[in-house]
Amino acid sequence: MMASADRRPLSGIRVFEISIAVAAPCCGKAMAHHGAEVFKVEAHSYPDVARAFGSAWARDAELADVFCDTGPYVPEMSAGKRSVGLELKQPEALEAAMRLLATCDVFLTNFAAPGIAELGLDYESVKQVRPDIIYAGMTGFGVDPDKPYYPFRAFGPNQAPLVGWDALTGFPHEEPAGIPSIAPPDYMGGLHTMLAIVTALHERDRTGEGRFLDISQLETTVSFLGPYLVGQGLGVPEPFRNGNRVSWAAPAGIYPCAGDDRWVAVEVPDDEAWQALAGLAEWSDVPAHDASGQAALSTYPHGTLADRIEHHDAIDTELADWTSRRSPQQAAAELQALGIAAYEVLNHTGVLSDPQVHDRRPYSIAPSPRLGRDLFVRNPVRMSDTPPYVARAGPNMGGDTVDVLTEIGYADDDVDQMVADGTAFVDARPDVVLERPFDRWYESVGIAEFYDAEGNITGGNQ
Amino acid sequence: MSAAQQGHGPWSGVRVLDLTGLSGAYGTRVWAALGADVICVEPPGGNPIRSMPPLAPGHDGPEASLWWAYYAASKRSVVLDPTDAADAASLVKLIASADVVLDDAMPATQQAYPWLADAGEGGLGVAGIVERFPHLTWVSITPFGMTGPRRHWRSSNLIAWASCGLASTVGFPHGPPLAPAGEIGVLMHGASLHAVIGSMMSVRARNQAAAAGEPALGQTIDLSLQEVGLWLSPETGVPLYLDDQVPRPRAGNRRPVTSPMGMYPASDGYVAIIAIQPAHWNAMAQWVHELTGNEGILDEIFIDIVVRREALEAVDAWVEELTTRFTKQELFVEGQRRRIPITPVNTVGDLRHDPHLEAVGWWRPEEHPVLGTYTVPGSPFTTDGDWWAWQRAPMLGEHTDEVLSRASLGITL
Repeated sequence: MMASADRRPLSGIRVFEISIAVAAPCCGKAMAHHGAEVFKVEAHSYPDVARAFGSAWARDAELADVFCDTGPYVPEMSAGKRSVGLELKQPEALEAAMRLLATCDVFLTNFAAPGIAELGLDYESVKQVRPDIIYAGMTGFGVDPDKPYYPFRAFGPNQAPLVGWDALTGFPHEEPAGIPSIAPPDYMGGLHTMLAIVTALHERDRTGEGRFLDISQLETTVSFLGPYLVGQGLGVPEPFRNGNRVSWAAPAGIYPCAGDDRWVAVEVPDDEAWQALAGLAEWSDVPAHDASGQAALSTYPHGTLADRIEHHDAIDTELADWTSRRSPQQAAAELQALGIAAYEVLNHTGVLSDPQVHDRRPYSIAPSPRLGRDLFVRNPVRMSDTPPYVARAGPNMGGDTVDVLTEIGYADDDVDQMVADGTAFVDARPDVVLERPFDRWYESVGIAEFYDAEGNITGGNQ
Repeated sequence: MSAAQQGHGPWSGVRVLDLTGLSGAYGTRVWAALGADVICVEPPGGNPIRSMPPLAPGHDGPEASLWWAYYAASKRSVVLDPTDAADAASLVKLIASADVVLDDAMPATQQAYPWLADAGEGGLGVAGIVERFPHLTWVSITPFGMTGPRRHWRSSNLIAWASCGLASTVGFPHGPPLAPAGEIGVLMHGASLHAVIGSMMSVRARNQAAAAGEPALGQTIDLSLQEVGLWLSPETGVPLYLDDQVPRPRAGNRRPVTSPMGMYPASDGYVAIIAIQPAHWNAMAQWVHELTGNEGILDEIFIDIVVRREALEAVDAWVEELTTRFTKQELFVEGQRRRIPITPVNTVGDLRHDPHLEAVGWWRPEEHPVLGTYTVPGSPFTTDGDWWAWQRAPMLGEHTDEVLSRASLGITL
């Protein structure tokens, strides 16, 4: 696709990203999908954890120098970006960064505020080289040194406990289960940042002026508790973790199915769906499980939501008996036919064989300089006329340094000298192209669209 | 008057028709406070959010829900009855005047408005509407997308977490999978942010096409809750699994990777600790030593995370000797001073009184003609500009007359 024909909304926008882990990288990746040119400026002296993780199969002394390009988080977080290797603690590298920044529209970081200031990339410094820069700083606790948590370190997995999500995850009679293995607060921070950046671009179109965007993870993620926080001032009881139940629909829960560790999620949305469920002939043989001898599925077909919430335990017992005699897919299909929201609780292999995933292909396979081609999740915003995509998977660490420095005016000799000095670096052995162990399954796995280096879909797999 | 009517905010001049419930509400709330004219089109009985508990104590009726009070902030409310021909015509006029329509109730919306039915079923379909009004972006937020064998299946926040693979990894090994943060609706909020970002992108693409003298560029956006879930959980997604072939079973609130890692009891609740890096461990061990006189914990052998994994129970017990002596806030402040990543496992009540949120002046009072005065959270992020214009949520049909009296006349399908 010719650049001039690219009608995507961020076509022509240049983004300078200095980032770690998830929160800023997922924002930059989404911007790349919408057409922005995103420069991930990285360093060996403080590598992104996505580089440090690498891939288990590439843990080999022979591959030590290219290990940083092998991790699956590299495409998941940085597909479509260009990687510029600059050791910013050295003055010549910082100068190169400033020359690059002078050509950029957006500065994106989730380094801690004190750390980014130490590197010389605080807002005032960046603004000097690019007065209309849109500067998005994602911090744990804001940029005001006088505020209590300013010096505290925000650390991905520690965010969910801090902002109240962990305490609300679990059953009332147990310790909080929390969500230690996943990081939704980081993704939500990334989405807020993207919304803020697009807003600032929209504003800049009219005013010609840049913006400083202070995205403090604490406030963005606590914002999701709004109704309950408002309730605290009005005498509403504090919410407590309540398993998979909700206050506005019942029954709701995750129920066991036939097989080992197989489950189905069920939520009965309204009275009509409840009556359809309670009206099934099966219940006539089921004894009531409620201590009061009433109000379970078998005896209580016309209950109101309040009744169903009151007798939720008894309903759960009977419904679990019903689901445990079915496979998750069968249970979900039968319940959906009654107008009830239900789905198999998919694990990794479940996602791989999910019919909807096979039909809609929510993953991408795109060319990768280190891996030939690579797999990562697509942007879910399916726009009919300007669909988001990227034409390249994860970049090699430092793989675009020479091209980018040349583009911003460095002579070949200067670039060579910076690489020789170690102020800049390039990717290790670019001729080494590896293959993921599952690469040969791509054609048969059926969950991804294939993109070529021009961004065209090349047919997908069967 | 809404923020948009005052011409305030970066998105002033952009009109958004909000036909969504929970999967759109958070994002359109933010957009409205940034100046977009967000008009909630409600049926005579009100948007379903208006009945979601918690309700303000002592109140019932359409203004009582705190979900509505929070999520409809800065929006306007127009009531239209789909069964009334004049109202249905008014909706068409509103669509003609809007830049973006967001909907999360297909196919029910199509049943309410027959002209929205798919082309094969006697209507124009969403694509046909955008063709008729080519300045328009129409966003459909649906459980599983607008295509595919399960496009008509129902969903919810819980079901979406189940369908994307993430719920299977949350919870204790002995118990069922869990939705993260329960009924808070984190995935729905994520969907709403994607929907609004996509809308903003589409408006931008349209404006750029217009500036370049190209034909009008309206479009449809198809957003699936299941795919939103896949996007925000690569940790549990297919590419990671295919790469390492390591299943990710539920492991409760501690990760048996090393110690301390996960949730530990405080005197008044729990804290979360992550001490992987040697510096973090050394600071933790020193603190335990100072407090309990434990000499063994200072042994250099424990700097190795693998040794701490093998001695998991002993190390956990030593750490708990410390954590149980303090409140979670004390552990947070002192732990952070010692450069150890410790955070409190906060409850909603804790956050309402959090010293940092107080110090940054986050909370603000809001007055409501029915509910009185109450305190609401501040903006989700800040800028050096004058961006935010927060207004209380609209009462049911509060803006019907003022909006319809200005709607373009004479526009029909």
